Amino acid sequence: MASTIGSLGAAEAVLKPFATTITRPQPERLEVNIHPDNLLAAVRALVDESWGYLSAIVGLDRPAQLAAEGMSQPESAIDVLYLFCSGAAVVTLRITLSYSQAVIPTISGIAPTAMLYEWELREMFGVEVVGLRVTGHLILADDWPAGVYPLRKSFTGFNQPIVGAEGA
Amino acid sequence: MTADTNKFVIPIGPQHPALKEPANFEFWVDGEIVTGASVRLGYVHRGIEKGAEVRTWTQNLYLMERICGICSHVHATAYTLGVEKLAGVEVPPRANAIRQLMAELERIHSHMLWLGVAAHEGGFDTLFMYSWRDRETVMDLLEKISGNKVHYSANLLGGVKFDITPELATEVHKGLDFLEERNRFYLKVVTTDETFIGRTRDIGTMTTEKAEFLGAIGPTARASGVARDIRVDAPYLTYEQFPVKVMTHTSGDLHGRFIVRIHETFESIRVIREILDHMPQGDLTTRVPRRIPAGEAVSRVEAPRGELLYFIASNGSEKPERVKVRTPSLCNWSTVLSLAIGLKLADMPMLLSGIDPCFSCNDRSISLKRGQQGAQVWSWEKLRQYGIEYYR
Repeated sequence: MASTIGSLGAAEAVLKPFATTITRPQPERLEVNIHPDNLLAAVRALVDESWGYLSAIVGLDRPAQLAAEGMSQPESAIDVLYLFCSGAAVVTLRITLSYSQAVIPTISGIAPTAMLYEWELREMFGVEVVGLRVTGHLILADDWPAGVYPLRKSFTGFNQPIVGAEGA
Repeated sequence: MTADTNKFVIPIGPQHPALKEPANFEFWVDGEIVTGASVRLGYVHRGIEKGAEVRTWTQNLYLMERICGICSHVHATAYTLGVEKLAGVEVPPRANAIRQLMAELERIHSHMLWLGVAAHEGGFDTLFMYSWRDRETVMDLLEKISGNKVHYSANLLGGVKFDITPELATEVHKGLDFLEERNRFYLKVVTTDETFIGRTRDIGTMTTEKAEFLGAIGPTARASGVARDIRVDAPYLTYEQFPVKVMTHTSGDLHGRFIVRIHETFESIRVIREILDHMPQGDLTTRVPRRIPAGEAVSRVEAPRGELLYFIASNGSEKPERVKVRTPSLCNWSTVLSLAIGLKLADMPMLLSGIDPCFSCNDRSISLKRGQQGAQVWSWEKLRQYGIEYYR
């Protein structure tokens, strides 16, 4: 456990210049919120420090609740989480993108394993990954309609109930 | 022939690209030599992550187990560990020890399955049939413990369903003795048979630096000297009480991947014996609330193919907000695409199977033959209705 805490401390020191907020949601986890513009620099800093490896990229759709009358409607957002692991320590870089500006730069130039994860993120959430040099589909069918992103909460199937769901 | 490169593109798959699961590879070749490669996945993508969002925490346990028919237990374990972390629940030590025991039995069956598949791709069908015949022993043990050979369904949120009785322990010991002896024979075959060595040594060699750069994990990485194993790096269940040794090899070639997996099988056998001899006493389950407190959790386990990561987000309701599964095979694809370059086309089947890829193949329709009616194709929904009516 001591080495995990040390490891998280080292990551915190490296990431501090790029962070808007830093939290420790669990003893083995460090979560760092960063602005999309700082993404490449933050990943570069971790890689230059040889801190762990990129383990996963997670998309998280957060559609806005309908605002009460008279209130301005907040914009829906997508969180993109970059999970880096070193031993038992897990560092999450979290960026929040609004639907209208769901664009991130690719980190595959720095961390080549990111390529497949970014490809999946683009297909499933409709996040544009600038600089990702692959085209076409990785997972979805060839005739999957453009502009339909299955892991967004708004997608509930093609007018067919989801079979096997509770009560369906 | 493509216009720009003047080279041939050989498509392999999606039907049975060397191994009996669907993926599509394109290899650019110059004569016999591969000069480039690409992959297309998703032929059996089932939208499980989406499906998880409309099911309850308990229903999802069964869904996650069905992601994979080879390492079903480890998926359910990663999921339950994440949910238990969010719920702040401590699972009794005996339940965790049984989870570890099942996980290691599963690793033995998975590695022996791979040994057979890889031998078959290399043209060694005798070894394939021997290893699959012997693998039945560990499948039978899993069935004796759980009642099932494939989806053991040992986990519950908060514990396990099955106990290991002294009679079962004796059976497991007996099975392990046989498996150990057989795996000694396999180790001898893969390290002494000249043709076998000829087809595996110095093929698809990956240096330690390259394995780390490409993000290889599991036995694929360990065969290149990367000493990374979640069971040791971030011990979960009872891996602190019953530790395992990280098995590595320095050769980095296909041969090394055979040796590492067989050594891991011995290590699993050793640790299962230790668990059986020092099984903690106590309950098998603890209570887990229906609604899981809001939050996010990351759980990581060492599946037979490498690190398996679950990211689980809860909004405080009876259903998860998001379950993200990052399976180990995904990490190892980039190693194949990179290592293929410069090799002969004939080496591709073994190189592909060398990483032990898993497509979690599980289609949603099934063909049934009953009496004189001939073949029918049933949709999942129809099959589900049939099941409900049958057991009504």
